[in-house]
Amino acid sequence: MSQPTKKHAVTDRQIIALNVIWNRLISVCEEQANVLMRVAFGTIVREAGDLSAGVFDAHGAMLAQAVTGTPGHVNTMAESVRAMLGRIPADTLQPGDALVTNDPWLGAGHVFDFVVVTPAFLDGKIVGYLASTSHVVDVGGLGWSAEGRTVFEEGVVIPVSKLRRQGALNEDILGIIGINSRIPKEARGDILSLLSCNDTGAERLIALMQEFNYSSLEDIADFIFERSRAGMAAALAEVPNGTFSNQLELDGYDSPIVLKANMVISDHQIHVDLAGSSPSIDRGINCPLNYSIAYAAFGIRALLAGHVPNNAAALEAIKITAPPGLIVSAERPSPVTARHVIGQALPELMQGCLSQALRGKVLAESSGALWTISLSGHGDTPFSSLNVALGGMGARPGADGLSTTAFPSGVGSVPIEIAESAAPVIYHSKEFATDTGGAGRYRGGLGQRVEIGARNRETLKLSAAAFERLKIGPAGRDGGLPGAPGRVEITDGTVIDDKGNYEIPPGERLILRTPGGGGFGDPGLRAADLIKRDIAEALVSEDQGSKLYKYNSQNRKEQ
Amino acid sequence: MTRLSIDIGGTFTDIVLEANGRHATHKVLTTPARPEAGAMGGITELLARENVVLADVDSIIHGTTLATNALIERKGARVGFVTTAGFRDILEMRNEKRFDQYDLNIELPQPLVSRDMRLTLDERILTNGDVLRGPALRQIDAIADDLIARNVEAVAIGFLHAYVNPAHEVLVAERLAQKLGDDVTICLSAQVSPEAREYDRFSTVCANAYVRPLMSRYLAGFSKALSDQGFSGSFLMMLSGGGLTTLDQAMKTPIRLVESGPAGGVALAAHVAREIGSAQTLALDIGGTTAKICFLENAIPQTTRKFEVARAWRDIKGSGLPVRVPTIELVEIGAGGGSIAKVDALSRLTVGPKSAGASPGPCAYQLGGTKATLTDAHIVLGNVSPEGFSGGSITLDPNLSVAAIEEQLAAPLGLTSAESAASGVVEMADEIMANAARVHGLELGKDISRFDLLVSGGGGALHAARIAEKLSIDRIIVPHNAGVGSAVGFLHAPVSFELARSVMQPVSKLDAQAVEAAVVEARDETRSVIAAIADPEAIEITAHAELRYAGQGQEVRLDFDADAPFAPQLANLEERFHAAYRSLYKFTMREIDVEFFSFSVTATAHLKSSALSIEQGDTADRSEAPDRQVYDLDGEAFIPFHTVSRDQWMPGETVPGPAIITESQTTTLIRKGWSCHKLASGHLILERVQPG
Repeated sequence: MSQPTKKHAVTDRQIIALNVIWNRLISVCEEQANVLMRVAFGTIVREAGDLSAGVFDAHGAMLAQAVTGTPGHVNTMAESVRAMLGRIPADTLQPGDALVTNDPWLGAGHVFDFVVVTPAFLDGKIVGYLASTSHVVDVGGLGWSAEGRTVFEEGVVIPVSKLRRQGALNEDILGIIGINSRIPKEARGDILSLLSCNDTGAERLIALMQEFNYSSLEDIADFIFERSRAGMAAALAEVPNGTFSNQLELDGYDSPIVLKANMVISDHQIHVDLAGSSPSIDRGINCPLNYSIAYAAFGIRALLAGHVPNNAAALEAIKITAPPGLIVSAERPSPVTARHVIGQALPELMQGCLSQALRGKVLAESSGALWTISLSGHGDTPFSSLNVALGGMGARPGADGLSTTAFPSGVGSVPIEIAESAAPVIYHSKEFATDTGGAGRYRGGLGQRVEIGARNRETLKLSAAAFERLKIGPAGRDGGLPGAPGRVEITDGTVIDDKGNYEIPPGERLILRTPGGGGFGDPGLRAADLIKRDIAEALVSEDQGSKLYKYNSQNRKEQ
Repeated sequence: MTRLSIDIGGTFTDIVLEANGRHATHKVLTTPARPEAGAMGGITELLARENVVLADVDSIIHGTTLATNALIERKGARVGFVTTAGFRDILEMRNEKRFDQYDLNIELPQPLVSRDMRLTLDERILTNGDVLRGPALRQIDAIADDLIARNVEAVAIGFLHAYVNPAHEVLVAERLAQKLGDDVTICLSAQVSPEAREYDRFSTVCANAYVRPLMSRYLAGFSKALSDQGFSGSFLMMLSGGGLTTLDQAMKTPIRLVESGPAGGVALAAHVAREIGSAQTLALDIGGTTAKICFLENAIPQTTRKFEVARAWRDIKGSGLPVRVPTIELVEIGAGGGSIAKVDALSRLTVGPKSAGASPGPCAYQLGGTKATLTDAHIVLGNVSPEGFSGGSITLDPNLSVAAIEEQLAAPLGLTSAESAASGVVEMADEIMANAARVHGLELGKDISRFDLLVSGGGGALHAARIAEKLSIDRIIVPHNAGVGSAVGFLHAPVSFELARSVMQPVSKLDAQAVEAAVVEARDETRSVIAAIADPEAIEITAHAELRYAGQGQEVRLDFDADAPFAPQLANLEERFHAAYRSLYKFTMREIDVEFFSFSVTATAHLKSSALSIEQGDTADRSEAPDRQVYDLDGEAFIPFHTVSRDQWMPGETVPGPAIITESQTTTLIRKGWSCHKLASGHLILERVQPG
């Protein structure tokens, strides 16, 4: 811990005020995010939390962000504000203005995510910005699908524009979004809700500054950044310096994709270069670099410095680079709808590097990308239904992995009763899938088996864009075995083995089995009572109990 | 009218006797193995002291944390859960979220029913109530055999969409009851919590089944012990929702008792608010480990049906078990007198949520506590006097507080004195509590600056003025004798019962007649539940509709008249929804369908309580206390605060700040810019000299 300097804070009273203000800023963001959850239309935002919110200083540097939300949004947004101000400079902004974009290369990596940035004015001057991001259900184009050959097919893109001018909504922009969307009213509502939550945040920010008599956020920013930098430095000091590399193979669209990382850990920084990863492809699972950075940085920070709040200084200690044109650094006009398939694998890639530096201290691989279940019907009452299915988390050093839990994403699933009332689908089962957790001294979390059909006699269309890890299960760590790979099939005998679009004929059902997490440590070292419990609860079959854990039916371990 | 109230907490049992126009109180240790034994002992002692016999007591009102403790300590019944085939793990999958994004070590709450005790039945009801597959009797019988073999004490039944159509749950319950006999408790999700969202409903019904055998045995035993001693009056139970109910109803849905203690505290706040005429009240209770806030409008506390018990990981929101029953909407904050203040890895000053509790307690207690706490900060600042602390029961050593704060806080923060650091600790605690109130107020769409702040608990009156300043509140109420809290609150609680139903239809397509029929049914049911104990003439029915824009997740709650025809009220509800939405979020979306999500109906009846006489101060007896030196951060110096004893103070007399009011269980801090007077009812009112 470094001794705080007194560059700006000179009196005891000021030091205490800065402590109080930092605390309040985090709450401002949290409240912003909560407003967003309450007014969002997409079930994926409101029930599952696919959003983010943050406060930025007058230079566009992130001061604080909501704990609620998902890393892909949060960490991309950290850069969005500056990038957007690069297009529409601060000196052209008036009170009551707000900026918007869903440009994947400026926002959160695909056209569904809208970022709204609202300047906060005090005494006629911009003192900071409020930004928020959320997933809008439909913006035209192909909709949720990896079938786009370019981003042009994936939906309408709004360049950085003024969404509001001096308090007046820019109906031209809203009109463009509306006429391109299959559900225009909800799309409009979702964008207005971003404005509303920023306004709430701006009001609270200004009230805070007035209460503490601050005319600018400079001192506060210095204080936050200085402490965060020191916090990151202290956290990095716990990790041995060195160079580590790792690679990961994913299914890809229909042929394998390799992700490579070379990590250099030095005293005050971790630098990761993703060179050597597969080139981008002409299907929508490419990942823009901003989204790759977001998830790679999250993977590192969650492991090493989860206690340092997310802000510009905490993030600057981690530098992620890649040559252009790779699947992790796709350039316009590569298609990017299901970019999370790649992005959400990056924490695993990073943790694989770190496990070499921190032997025995890093969890096993998790199931990775969120499985998006995108179903639509095109009969008498057309509909689209979006839900997610989570796999197992990797086993931790000292504890089993969590079953069917979102990681690295923060997005949970929509309740069945809500999903079924929102669209004419029937979930026929949703249960833990036995034997999917990787064996180990600590077992990987289980994946699940989900079975879905149409309520009416109609064909369902399915996008398999995000069903990843169907070929290779998440790897174990330190002697632990891999978790089971995922499996997706249709009851008519179709086995899904690429990320294309499929049809589920009337009367047939979709059966998903999400991957299980990798195991940690030698399975032979697992405590007998835990094996016994797992078998009693049918989380592990007797067969696997005897094969992998050497546990026989006489309820004792073989010697 | 002679009444007795009993609040059984984890450590203490509080008993209050209301007789002859006054309250007599008694505190005894809780006897966890058989809580009724300790309570009976305390009752006997108190009644003997007051010359009253149990046969003279007209009614007894009881609240207890027993159900909550059973959930936290996992000491409930052996429960079997019967659910829809294919959905065995809903209870364990939860919502599949991590409640802490950056903590990779989180542990999830263990489900109350383990996987091997979760049995599935091939049945399915759809979202509109249609039956896709009915259950086969043979399979139900097989499940019954399985449950018998597993020796269950209770069975919870939870089927998908049972909130729309409970037929399968009812059928299975009847069949299982025949097979399992009377000794096994059976609970239905459609009865305990008839609302959509399967995980929440299943969690609630399992929690109910988990505590029901224990609570039924306990309540039956307590009731018998009381009647053996001659009691023949009514025995009422305090519910989490702030109302009272019959013993019979409490034994059916004991999960509704989980927050009865805090609900009693809020009932007292409601009573005081009504007495004083406070139309909008923010109740704040600051105890030893946590603070709790609750908003009241016209003396009616805000309630919710979303609640979480037994948090499994560092008391973090989301790490507990959801319970959807009517509950006083309390926001709990991890800051109280025992909260530990420290400097974290980022050199930030933090207060709580870890607490030193009562043991080892703050450093100054000399009980082995070595970590600086909020109470230590108050001692350093002079807010709390070492003399006569807690009625003289604890001897304080202020030097230990100074040393801990100097070393653990002032030095690492780069502050010049222990007093500055202590000011920072108190300011941070005030900030955390004010902020929680601010955030919660925003969520509810309330303008907090128009509220009165009503404080209770050991620390409430110490923090009130600064918190009010932060919230631009101009009036503070410090109730008379707020120390005995919940048990006194029980005596002021109304009899009430609430039922809620999910509807989930767009207003434009709503079958108003069907809703009206459901409302009437709920109204009659709630009325009949409380008619047994309340004067039918005194029963008031309130109803609330929950509306939202179709597709959104958050409902807006609006009242309507359950006794009037429903159809004509519908258009009005829709308009009021748009207006309420605008006031919350500053825009409306008239192009989107409004969905009627659910409604709730509550029957309430206020019971007659006796007029109490308050002992007044006696100026003749008043000894002038010397001024106390209290640290002021603005001037970085100690300044004198006039000191007055609450007991020796006449109603009507005004004391300007800076001043301190002392009494045995708490201290009221009147900061500069405030003045204080005492009402005839004994309550203190602090008002801002210059409203902010």
